[in-house]
Amino acid sequence: MKTKLFYLWALITLGLLVFAVYQAAYVAPMEATMFDAQRIFYYHVPAAATAFSLFIVNCIASIIYLAKRSQWSDALAVTGAEVGVVFCLVVLITGPIWARYAWGTFWVWDARLTTTLLLWLLYVSYLILRRSSDAGSASVLAASLAIFASLDIPIVYMSNRWFRTNHPQPVIFNDALDPRMKIVLMWCVFAFMALGILIAWFRYDLERLAQRINAIHVQRAARGGSAMILLPAVALFQLTGHWPPIRYFHAGAIAAWLIYIVYVFILVGKLTKLRKEAAELGI
Amino acid sequence: MRSVSLELERGRFYVLRGENGAGKSTLLRMIAGLNQPTEGRILIYGIPNREARSEIGYMAHAPLLYDEFSGMENLRFFASLYGIKSEDSLSAAMERVGLNPGLDRRVGQYSQGMRQRLSLARAIFHSPRLLLLDEPFSNVDPDSAVAIARLLAGMRSEGKTILLVTHQLGLLSEVADEVLVMSRGELVKRGAMPQVSA
Amino acid sequence: MSLSITKLTAVNVGKDMSLEWRSRDVLNSMLFFALLVVVIFSWAFDPTAEQSRRMVGGLAWVAFLFSTVMALNQSWARELRNGVLDAYRVSPAPSEALFLGKCLGNFILVLLLECVMAVLFVVFYNLRSVGPLWQLVIVFLLGTWALVVNGTFFAAMSIRTRNRELMLPLLLLPISIPAVAAMVLATTNVLTGESSSLLQIKFLAVYCVVFTTACFLLFDTVLNAE
Repeated sequence: MKTKLFYLWALITLGLLVFAVYQAAYVAPMEATMFDAQRIFYYHVPAAATAFSLFIVNCIASIIYLAKRSQWSDALAVTGAEVGVVFCLVVLITGPIWARYAWGTFWVWDARLTTTLLLWLLYVSYLILRRSSDAGSASVLAASLAIFASLDIPIVYMSNRWFRTNHPQPVIFNDALDPRMKIVLMWCVFAFMALGILIAWFRYDLERLAQRINAIHVQRAARGGSAMILLPAVALFQLTGHWPPIRYFHAGAIAAWLIYIVYVFILVGKLTKLRKEAAELGI
Repeated sequence: MRSVSLELERGRFYVLRGENGAGKSTLLRMIAGLNQPTEGRILIYGIPNREARSEIGYMAHAPLLYDEFSGMENLRFFASLYGIKSEDSLSAAMERVGLNPGLDRRVGQYSQGMRQRLSLARAIFHSPRLLLLDEPFSNVDPDSAVAIARLLAGMRSEGKTILLVTHQLGLLSEVADEVLVMSRGELVKRGAMPQVSA
Repeated sequence: MSLSITKLTAVNVGKDMSLEWRSRDVLNSMLFFALLVVVIFSWAFDPTAEQSRRMVGGLAWVAFLFSTVMALNQSWARELRNGVLDAYRVSPAPSEALFLGKCLGNFILVLLLECVMAVLFVVFYNLRSVGPLWQLVIVFLLGTWALVVNGTFFAAMSIRTRNRELMLPLLLLPISIPAVAAMVLATTNVLTGESSSLLQIKFLAVYCVVFTTACFLLFDTVLNAE
């Protein structure tokens, strides 16, 4: 299952990540108003780019599945959704941590944030639907829901632009991005997209194996576990009055890495379970 | 279900039997178009089964009837789904299964035997050429069971093809042409009625 | 032998209406539920008349959403009870007619509930509409259809899931958020008379068209997802 190509990609990803993280923490210039806290940006934006790409993959795979009913498109759809939810969670956690410092508030209902939150909610409901459906229907129902989700997203974006004009729209970037920041951002996007591809590859193989075993009840461990990260973070920010900006950056970075690592551990756990089942069935 | 490859002849009466979980109900549901096969096709008189739905009469474990309506009201509703406007075929179907078309009682108050009969009426009123019946004799009093068996014999002589799932072969020993035996999702035996009645 | 969708839809609506009239169980319980919801909300949120005009938009639609989900949860119950849904699927009748019939039936039921609740809200909050009332009527109609069409569709999806009653709101609420936002804003605008709700009405119309089409096209797939 794990081909040489996969391990090569893992190596490339590792190299890119080390380089990008170093760049983000030390090489990128300090931002004028937000200081070190702004460095969360290098975790936040790449996660968003990866998440949205994965959701688009899910959308296309769902359409293909409804047309052709092929197993691989179904596996790709669930991969896009699940890994996308993980990366989107990183976006939704690093964002408010950064916002707390930059704007003084955790959340605003502007178009971008609302759309991201909605996307996350829609795809969590997608995953729950897959899990709760009867065996034969899960894939078809979920694919239909994915189409609804993709119709809803532009509508949500538009509705927010039109209906919330009397709220202050926070400015994400004061002016054009410093070219040095652009370069670091680019490396980070590459690195985290590579990570996304690596994890998705892993997840896809997992799903194909599960399909072969007909192990329909692949145990999806507590998604609630990841929500637990948010709670202490919120509490922390209430207690400490004003932290130095670099702490915000560290908090965001730690949260992001925690989520990625926990998810990979969950996947590895699933894999060992599936491998055992496969061995018993003689696959 | 594993792999099933089956050809049925027009106008013959087939009995399908096998242990629980063998896939008999699933096979019937597939032919009726309720379950989709992962591979392969189902053709009825040369037409894909989902396009030949007006030629199929299906009777299941569940009565497939509205409790709040009377017998005729139920049939009237289902008749509209088949595009049948005249009430004559509906009354005829009810009389044929031994029920009174004028009966005003709600189906929820029918006895089990009456409900099975009405369910059968619902399966035959549009004169389908293929009848799929899943355990029509279960939970039914002996008189109703005999009446149903006699009715099915009549349908067979009208040239309809009948595929029936049951454990009670005794009732059909005079009528059925062939017995098909399923086990673990596959068709394992097939033969004329007297030989396989064990 | 005519199997036109319009005729069959009418037949289905008629069937649902007469079934409901026979037992009246859903109607009675839903009406009482609607009353309870309005009473609780009015009791919990008890502002002055001027403040209430600002809040009622949001409150009312949350109350409607709540009741709509309850009403929609049982929309396929009769078809499931004795396996009637299978009988429908075996017949040559197109499933879109079944869907539209259900939607229209649910629409009528939910509209009835909303009328009752709206009257109660007016009473409890001493409401008077400052803006044009006809706009409010259109918002109600479009908003209700938006909820009902998606709700009926997701209720059909939930049939094949384990936690049926939980799946419906889980699926319906995220998708409906933009529509509900529009409804609340439009209602507030009309009640306070501060601005026109035409933009929200246009938005709701587009939303309804998009999702009615999507539901219509995908219903057969979802119904036969076995």
